[in-house]
Amino acid sequence: MELNAGAGGNGSHKTASERDEVAALESLQFTDEIRRLMSAPGGDNASSFTALLELPAPQAVQLIQSPDSAKLIAAPAPAPAPNVDDFRGSFQFPFNCGLIDRAARFSVFAGDGNINGNNKSNSPEPTSYNSSASLQKPVKNEPAETESSQPLVSDPTVENRSIKRKDREKVKGSSKKSKTSAKESSEDAEKLPYVHVRARRGQATDSHSLAERARREKINARMKLLQDLVPGCSKISGTALVLDEIINHVQSLQRQVEFLSMRLAAVNPRIDFNLDSVFTAESGSLMDSNFSGMVIPMMWPEVQLNGNRQQYPQQLHLDAFQQPVSGREEVCNSYLTPENSLLSYDSSGNSASLHSNQLKMEL
Amino acid sequence: MCPHTSLKQQFLKKWIMGLQRCSFSKKNMSILERKKTIKLSADIAMASARNGTTRWSRALISNASKDGSDNRLVQQILGPDSNTPAATTTNKAGTRRASVCKKIVKRSHQIRRRRRKCVAAAPVKAVTSSISEHLVRKRRQVLKTLIPGGEFMDEICLIEETLDYITSLRVQVDVMRSVASACFSQS
Repeated sequence: MELNAGAGGNGSHKTASERDEVAALESLQFTDEIRRLMSAPGGDNASSFTALLELPAPQAVQLIQSPDSAKLIAAPAPAPAPNVDDFRGSFQFPFNCGLIDRAARFSVFAGDGNINGNNKSNSPEPTSYNSSASLQKPVKNEPAETESSQPLVSDPTVENRSIKRKDREKVKGSSKKSKTSAKESSEDAEKLPYVHVRARRGQATDSHSLAERARREKINARMKLLQDLVPGCSKISGTALVLDEIINHVQSLQRQVEFLSMRLAAVNPRIDFNLDSVFTAESGSLMDSNFSGMVIPMMWPEVQLNGNRQQYPQQLHLDAFQQPVSGREEVCNSYLTPENSLLSYDSSGNSASLHSNQLKMEL
Repeated sequence: MCPHTSLKQQFLKKWIMGLQRCSFSKKNMSILERKKTIKLSADIAMASARNGTTRWSRALISNASKDGSDNRLVQQILGPDSNTPAATTTNKAGTRRASVCKKIVKRSHQIRRRRRKCVAAAPVKAVTSSISEHLVRKRRQVLKTLIPGGEFMDEICLIEETLDYITSLRVQVDVMRSVASACFSQS
């Protein structure tokens, strides 16, 4: 099973639904195995059974703790929302053991409605199977990932604990139910290398709905990213309105591109921005040096150069920098100095981008 | 926009090199042709900056290289590394047929679903949720038309491609704006 799990972990998000189904199937197989395991000690006396069970309960808690913690440390969270998932996982972990402790001490662990209906101690297996089905799946799936020895040790003890609770037959009121339901809903989706989704209370646990839910959550995570990207979208709730905003944004950006290209076409009679001069004036040294050298002649095609100081309010120090355009620099020193300063601004870096500096100044 | 600096540099470099290449073909162009060339070279530069990692970039390049008149331009712009357009055009033909079939099947499903809903007395909640689903679906359709190559993507892909496309568009707009303002400051 671990092999399958490992292989399934490498797939893309397209196979997520398949992975979910595989995981669900694995969990079902596992429950059968557990049932078989349980049928062996099923003939014991109730008293000796509970005596047996008193001991392993806290150990079982510890065992459950350790795969949890190992899982949390080892599992690389998938790309969509790593912070949220880790956080959720870490949340669930103290919750888990505290509640298990309490439930172990007190009474029936009311996972489903079937358990309350079936309170006989003679039939622990199917009822405990029902009761622990929802708990078992995540518990089983966690150990299945990390170590192979642990599941067989921890799961029977958990199972036995649930049987013990069944045997006591104390049905608490709605408080217990609400606690367990809260616990269930708080730890619903564990994001592991491949997705394990815990069934919420009252929800279907078949593979299709699980896969559907995993897909939904993926989509929601990406929608959140989009909301953060598009300005003014974070306040809006509701997918349709958010999509509206996104569409508007994309359309406005596309229109801006059109408009700017029209503007550029209007400025220059020739579209190559007078790069012929670049080719004629220099050698290939231009290309390997910062290509901002290309940009400089681009800026002044056929223009009288006055000291345009307004465009570049910042005047940094004038450094000695190699002049790619040797012929033109005498034309206007005052104009060159902003260029100079911009380039010397990050001459220490790799290929200096005049452009990035320009942007920094304009922004 | 500090994190996008390298992308901007890359885009600018490719754009200018592309413009150089196409300027050698014609000397006198009308303003509309110039604008078209500028925009085209900018788009191609943006798409090639992604190196074929995203679908919208591949779709953009293959769209541009499909038309006969632009094809030469695209080949010139892309230069020696122009093996991607040929592959993607053939891909597109196959997927287009598949997508058309998919659309027909989807529409028939929708019609069947609508008929079933009319027959069964749907409760109010189902009706409102179906309305919201309908709205979302419509908007998703619009988004698919906006993003190049969007009709062939499913939901998850569509949202990821939108993210990437928006950032690339922003970079493009910033670069073009600063170039245009620099040019205008001289005149």
